[in-house]
Amino acid sequence: MTRIEGTPLPTREALVLGEVDFRRLDDDINRPLESFPTLRWWAAFAVTSSMALMLLFCLGLTVARGVGIWGVNIPVGWGWAIVNFVFWIGIGHAGTLISAILFLLRQRWRTGIARFAEAMTIFAVVCALIFPLFHTGRPWLAWYWLLPLPNAHGIWPNFRSPLLWDVFAVSTYGLVSLLFWYTGLIPDIATARDRARHPLRKVFYGVLSLGWTGSARAWSHYERAYLLFAGLATPLVLSVHSVVSFDFATSVVPGWHVTIFPPYFVAGAIFSGLALVATLIIIMRRMFRLQHVITIRHLEIMNKLVVATSLMVGYAYLTEIFIAWYAGSLYEYFSMTNRMFGPYAWAYWIMIACNAVFPQLLWIGRVRRSILLMYPIVILVNVGMWFERFVIIASSLSRDYLPANWHYYRPTWVDVGIFVGSFGLFLTLMLLFVRLLPTVSLAELKSVLPNAQPARRARHG
Amino acid sequence: MTDRLPQDDRPIGWWELLASRLDPRTLAEMTAMSRRSALKLMGASLAVALGVPGCRRKPERKIVSRIDGPEYQHPGEPLQYSSTWTEGPHPYGMLVEAIDGRPVKIEGNPSHPINGEASSAAMQASIYSLYDPDRLTAPLRSGQPIPWPQADAEILAALRSAKRTALITRATLGPSERAMVERFIQAAPGARHFVHEPAFDASRRAAWQTVFGQPGELVPQFDRAKVIVSLGSDFLGTDGAVLANIRQFSSRRALVDQAPTELSMPRLYVVESGLTVTGAAADHRLRARPSELATLARYIRAGLRTDTPSTGFVATMIDDLREARGEALVLAGPQLGADVHALVALINRELDAYGRTLAWNPSPPTLPPTDRSEIESYLADGVDVLIVLGTNPVFDWPTPRIRSLIEGATLSVGQGLYLDETLAACTFALPASHNLESWNDASPNPAVHSVCQPVIAPLHASRQEAESLLLWTKVLAPDDPELTDLRDWHDFVRLQWQRRLFPDAADFEDRWIESLRTGVVLRPAEPPVPPMDVAAAERLIATGSLTSGELELVIAPHHAIRDGRFANNGWLQELPDPISKLVWDNAAAVSPATAQRFDLAEGDVVELRAGEGVVEIPILLQPGTADGAIVVTLGYGRTRAGRVGNAVGVNVAPLVQPGPTPWLASNVYLRKLNRRYPLVRTQEHASMEDRPIVLAGTLSEFRDHPDLIEHLHYEHPKADIYPEYNWQGPQWAMAIDQTLCIGCGACVIACQAENNIPVVGKLECEHSRNMHWLRIHRYYVGDPENPRVYHQPMPCQHCENAPCENVCPVNATTHDLEGLNQMVYNRCIGTRYCSNNCPYKVRRFNFFDYQRRLLRAPVQELAYNPNVTVRSVGVMEKCTFCIQRINQAKFAAKNNNVPIPDGAVKTACQQACPAGAIVFGDLADPASVVRRWHASGRAYKLLAVLNTQPRVDYLARIRNPHPALASSQGGHG
Repeated sequence: MTRIEGTPLPTREALVLGEVDFRRLDDDINRPLESFPTLRWWAAFAVTSSMALMLLFCLGLTVARGVGIWGVNIPVGWGWAIVNFVFWIGIGHAGTLISAILFLLRQRWRTGIARFAEAMTIFAVVCALIFPLFHTGRPWLAWYWLLPLPNAHGIWPNFRSPLLWDVFAVSTYGLVSLLFWYTGLIPDIATARDRARHPLRKVFYGVLSLGWTGSARAWSHYERAYLLFAGLATPLVLSVHSVVSFDFATSVVPGWHVTIFPPYFVAGAIFSGLALVATLIIIMRRMFRLQHVITIRHLEIMNKLVVATSLMVGYAYLTEIFIAWYAGSLYEYFSMTNRMFGPYAWAYWIMIACNAVFPQLLWIGRVRRSILLMYPIVILVNVGMWFERFVIIASSLSRDYLPANWHYYRPTWVDVGIFVGSFGLFLTLMLLFVRLLPTVSLAELKSVLPNAQPARRARHG
Repeated sequence: MTDRLPQDDRPIGWWELLASRLDPRTLAEMTAMSRRSALKLMGASLAVALGVPGCRRKPERKIVSRIDGPEYQHPGEPLQYSSTWTEGPHPYGMLVEAIDGRPVKIEGNPSHPINGEASSAAMQASIYSLYDPDRLTAPLRSGQPIPWPQADAEILAALRSAKRTALITRATLGPSERAMVERFIQAAPGARHFVHEPAFDASRRAAWQTVFGQPGELVPQFDRAKVIVSLGSDFLGTDGAVLANIRQFSSRRALVDQAPTELSMPRLYVVESGLTVTGAAADHRLRARPSELATLARYIRAGLRTDTPSTGFVATMIDDLREARGEALVLAGPQLGADVHALVALINRELDAYGRTLAWNPSPPTLPPTDRSEIESYLADGVDVLIVLGTNPVFDWPTPRIRSLIEGATLSVGQGLYLDETLAACTFALPASHNLESWNDASPNPAVHSVCQPVIAPLHASRQEAESLLLWTKVLAPDDPELTDLRDWHDFVRLQWQRRLFPDAADFEDRWIESLRTGVVLRPAEPPVPPMDVAAAERLIATGSLTSGELELVIAPHHAIRDGRFANNGWLQELPDPISKLVWDNAAAVSPATAQRFDLAEGDVVELRAGEGVVEIPILLQPGTADGAIVVTLGYGRTRAGRVGNAVGVNVAPLVQPGPTPWLASNVYLRKLNRRYPLVRTQEHASMEDRPIVLAGTLSEFRDHPDLIEHLHYEHPKADIYPEYNWQGPQWAMAIDQTLCIGCGACVIACQAENNIPVVGKLECEHSRNMHWLRIHRYYVGDPENPRVYHQPMPCQHCENAPCENVCPVNATTHDLEGLNQMVYNRCIGTRYCSNNCPYKVRRFNFFDYQRRLLRAPVQELAYNPNVTVRSVGVMEKCTFCIQRINQAKFAAKNNNVPIPDGAVKTACQQACPAGAIVFGDLADPASVVRRWHASGRAYKLLAVLNTQPRVDYLARIRNPHPALASSQGGHG
């Protein structure tokens, strides 16, 4: 476009606000690690760890008594546990999107939130893995029979089963995410090591930093490794949740046997993950006074992604409705009308409202940039996404081909306890993370400071 | 809180008492269970190894198995023993399969002409009660254990000095038992015999006696009838020799066996108050209150006398009857009054039924019961010794008076299987031996004589009721020359057998062995129907009919529990009612319209008042019930049935009316209480939702379109891109004829007995977790107030293209070369994906350790079939086409180097089915029955469009409606 003489070049909004230099950034990011946890942290930790204890208790009960203490039955063999599994895995995907995909796409704005999001992915995968293991009837056998371990009987697991694909997909995802996250952490752990005074802290961070020297060579290797991991993690975002969706899409259950599931699930995963990132990071930035590092701009960009994925998910809902009619199968048609007007209609309409309707408010700039207004919307997004999986699982299974088999599904207190407990575990890990490791990737953040590129700064004035 | 069963020194923990139906999620139970159960099970397994009366308990006297060879020749190989089932209202021939000397399975006796190989649900469940730990195990005196000799001594002392003795028995006494009772009555001073049988057709028998001038019963011959009209007679469910009825009725409905050009079926009209299996099998059904049934009977009689054709349902029915004269039959239910029975007797006379569709049996298997008031007045006058054998009046008497009368006797003796309500009120409670531990005989009619031999020596310190009488009679009449030579009851039975059947035989020993081997002796006998006293019939008709009321009550025997005798049988409690699919409860069934009128929802508890009796009972909404009729079932609300049956349901005995029609009442009042009660059904949705699940058509449609399935536009699977699998060996397949299946549930219990399927209890049934591998789905079609009922048994379909196999992550379900879908229990980790992916939902999951959870004592483990794995928690299970039986047949064939003959493998469900609705066999065998069934124009696969390619074919349901009557559309709507 033509440039009018005398007007300044449009510049991007600064990613880090205020007069910030490297030293100040170090101090800001490392302060939570170096200061004793506040009463608020302890209170939060007490709450979340008791939730996590409830999780352990409920799981122990399940193993001791049998999965019958949950609400599952025949025909609804999967209930809250698998809803939670898909929910947690989905949440993890936003983390990888932000840290890996946006990295490859050179979206600098991700630097403030990438580490936190990636940590969220790890912890979400940990929470997710609980469910496929403990929902089995015999988890003490399941944990190793699902793995392709050579054995004297010559028995392999069934590679044709989508559940086994899940095992590979999710374990790969967990492993790659962990390595990716850890690799990225190394320079920052080294910073903490260098700043550490207490001998225990020196040992702790020293061991974890794997002898980082900060030399140019180390940085070169680091950059390359990080890039490779980002490259590895990127397709996983698409593949893992597609594979999880295959659990449903490859079955014969009406309402599950739908080809749109893989992209629909992936979009939904990113959708819910972004919402949870936003939910948590809004609290975190406030607690640790990192508003200048994680700015409203970051949140606004995430909200735009939320709107985008909300539209994708909404499109998928419309497609499902259309195909249910177009397919000409009375079972498919019924599964749709059953969802909309049957005994689980309440869940269906909560899902529609929270996923497709409320997020549209984020088109409005004022809403996007106001924490008070966006916060309830992103919370509802997660509620809606949980209900989406619930609707898919419970409504389809409870009313399938033969009406004589129809039966309603209701969770029990153990189901609720495990779900709430998984949040407890997640938040406990989060709380430990924010106290033990730097929540923002220092090294990357420094690279987007104006100070980082003095030559360029001079050029652009 | 501990409780102590008097015969058991081991205290029963509180969790054991609650084990049967406690909410398993209660924390307290869970923590207690883990510790105690471990200890208990350690102790239990030790007890089984050492102390529990175990595997080999040969009866004292010689028993004879079906096949030659020394007994117990091969450990683990089953032996079959012929016997007679005497626990129910009608004696049936049974084959008991024993492994290592203990009975594990019951079948019908193929040599027995009445039921043949067929069995009923209650027969199949007899195994469960044999090993019931709640049985009375030793004699008690006022609740304290007492040795047998001492008990006998005291009882004899009392008998000797008694002036008035009363002996109350059940009605189903065999000829030897009747002879023994007679002897006892003669020997004991001042003794009288009374018969008490709760669910009995007293008014019908009395009416026949009046009309035909002698005691006896009319036996319907359904295989000779073209048109059948039932006025409230549930002849396929609870009325009469049900197994014989089903067999005969089905013999004319086996369309597969008929030539395509000569297809024919009888036509059944049912007019009834509650929806029964008979009504479900009807071609035309009308709802009517009991008072209306009486009116209808009159109408039919009047209509038959005139010849003018007329229109309308009843008129067409009458025309149909008239045209089928000589091959027609009208029946009236046992609950109706003598006037209706007399009317029906005259109607049948008009129809020329006697000697054709109705035979006469001068010696029915049941004695006529004594009038209750007679028993009460005799007892009220004071009784020195009261003996109650095998019946439970304290439970099923309408008033509590009987209890005080029993307690008022100077000495009361009760003998029975359990320490039930009656035995608890008696001074002496003596344990009775089980049917499978007993010698006995039965003569259901003059032509058929069957013997009952024990298969195992008594597990406990019990003895037969008749043995008690023999012992006492021998002492009371020491000079009786016959009795002195007899050592025990076996000898008495044998003596009677000889007297009755082989009086002149020189080689009686051989005859006796042969009788024991086959279980049955036949004598030619076809007693003619006695001439009818028409005037007496007219007089009976004039005695009047039941008055009508806004609400009319019908009390019916329960389809499985009967009158409460099987209340402690977990298998029968969990067997869903064939029509309502209700389990573990009884209820008052009303039509939805009646419920609406009284503002009642299902589960509302109402106070039901009929005459003097009051009960509080939950309401069940049952389409097909006549408006204004309330149907309740007997046998529930027991207080001393045992740990399974106690406090289950409501005792409706107070509603039983005095007078000639005790099972009906028209002065009925209903009051809604402010309470609700959870009723549990195993099936909640009854509509097929326009899906092609049970395909149905009429006989005329089938005649016109031999390829009926195509005519019904059934959707077939599309082309398959995969090549056909390389099948080898016999290709197992099953076919189920939905026309023949009446939903009785014998197959369900047979499968449960054969495959060690656990009972899960009411709460788990509420959570849709019942474990039956074979279920019968019941659908309502058409008019919601008077629906047509379709039954569809659902075993595993053994799909060639099984959706369950692909999705198991650990390969726990595989397919074999012979077409069976296999379940590998020890590989299963319980992800339940296979169940989710099964469109038929035939797979069952062990959500808890059901086998152990409801195990009350180690003795119950003896009931397990050792050829079938007992599954533990977290493992999926399903119908296996009785693979253990397939393997047995394969081994036998291989040993003899012959191919497996068709019919050598019979699945448990197939063998039990009285209607012959299930066939199983080798599809690759061109001459097999199952292949013929699969080739039928009525055969289709369920949900074929999914391309699962199941090995189970269903044959469409064919009805035979009268062409003049409306709405006989076929299809699946």
